[in-house]
Amino acid sequence: MINNLKYVYAKYSFLLKQLVERDFKVKYKRSILGIFWSLLYPVLMMAVMAIVFSNVFKFSTPGVSYLTYLLIGLTYFSYFSEASNLAMSSVVANFSLINKVYMPKYIFPLSKCIFVGINFLLTLIPLYIIIIATGTGLNWAHLFLPYSFICLFLFTVGMGFILSTIAVFIRDMFYIYGIIITIWTYLTPIMYDIKIISNSTLQFLMKLNPLYQIINFARSIILYHNVPTLGQWAGCGVSGLVIFIIGIIVFKKNQDKFIYYV
Amino acid sequence: MKKKENKIITDDIMIEVEKISMRFNLGIEKGFSLKQGFINLFNIKKRKELKAKRKKNVFWALKNVSFKVNRGEVVGFIGANGAGKSTLLKVVAGVMKPTEGNVDVYGNICPMIELGAGFDPQLTARENIYLNGAVMGYSKNLIDLKFEEIVEFSELREFLDVPVQNFSSGMVARLAFSIATIVDPEILIVDEILSVGDIAFQAKSEKKMMNMIGGGTTVLYVSHSLAAIKKICTKVIWLEKGKIKMVGGTEVCDKYLKYMEGK
Repeated sequence: MINNLKYVYAKYSFLLKQLVERDFKVKYKRSILGIFWSLLYPVLMMAVMAIVFSNVFKFSTPGVSYLTYLLIGLTYFSYFSEASNLAMSSVVANFSLINKVYMPKYIFPLSKCIFVGINFLLTLIPLYIIIIATGTGLNWAHLFLPYSFICLFLFTVGMGFILSTIAVFIRDMFYIYGIIITIWTYLTPIMYDIKIISNSTLQFLMKLNPLYQIINFARSIILYHNVPTLGQWAGCGVSGLVIFIIGIIVFKKNQDKFIYYV
Repeated sequence: MKKKENKIITDDIMIEVEKISMRFNLGIEKGFSLKQGFINLFNIKKRKELKAKRKKNVFWALKNVSFKVNRGEVVGFIGANGAGKSTLLKVVAGVMKPTEGNVDVYGNICPMIELGAGFDPQLTARENIYLNGAVMGYSKNLIDLKFEEIVEFSELREFLDVPVQNFSSGMVARLAFSIATIVDPEILIVDEILSVGDIAFQAKSEKKMMNMIGGGTTVLYVSHSLAAIKKICTKVIWLEKGKIKMVGGTEVCDKYLKYMEGK
């Protein structure tokens, strides 16, 4: 098993790197600001949402900076939404390759998740600027944050596997997922605090959202300067791992059939 | 596909194809759409027709094909369009998994089935050499090592930093061929690609192919040019509607020709 993984890594890590590199080159080709868009985009998005939600809807999070609160959720969620979207279409988009050369098909969703992941790491720069500028401050618990990145990544890769499999068989998924993601945005406490949901059953159901678990983990470190509780560690890890494993199973079971649906 | 690299090779068999069949579902495209479903709702006759058609819409691209290839053999595949030649090569190359049967390949394969797979038109030739190389399964070291050779052979040095979308199709083909042929594989799969580029490049590429074939490589070769098949192949397999019609030496070509003329 371990040897097998090593073999696969040695054989396909170069291809993976090339695919990610291609995405970067193509994305920023001929744009003047290039990679700076990765920094600028979340900042502008946040500015718009901050203005709308704190001024128009008067949302606030007592005791902590609303701006930071918002940006944490936004950073995490937009990674998920962008990466899962790209991963979903990656297999269908690369049919011409799959039909010609042998390569492991999971490499396409995976490369998209890594590509957006690098962008995600860049968006941490504006996030930290905001953390410092709003006076939220740093603490040593920040060292645990990468755990939430890994969970987010695993969760997204798993979703990418599931979505790209469905998209091969049912192309309508591209449209359906657009709606799902919109609903998901509002059901995840990104712009609001989950405590404003007064119905306790609903609140419980919302906490089952893996993205809530992951974002909550990050918030407890950044905003409340807490070392996450055991429950938070578990919630975050289970969210990532379960979907990741389900994704692998679904993808593996169906990948040989892809070729018939070209 | 299974790659049993650790198995001891006893009698120098390189490829073992065992009773493979490949089924395609032609009806998938017309499977179901809301629009069609709605239209057919009012047309009972059509609905029955469609149902029957869907059942019939199974197409066997390959049916019960078995053969063995020994080390150093050059096997030519002939047959009419749609006989299953390319599908067979794709199954051997591992691109497709056969619906039934087994394929065992002992050795590394260089599938030159469709060249230039994975070229990104927006990237430059230089970037595409690495990308396409990676898609073909090369390592970075190998490409670094052979980069000069690729550039030299394709005669595209001055266009190295031009996006491939600005290339002529001949130039793209030349680049693709040059990348595909830098390896020294044990098994070479060739699907009709010798006619690449202009006359000068054709001669050059043919010579390179011959060198690769001549070096003791095991080759699977698909072509409609019987002359080429006769020239290089030691064994010829004639496919007809997904089944093997005849196996033998180059005399199979003559029989095939006679058969096609008589049609």
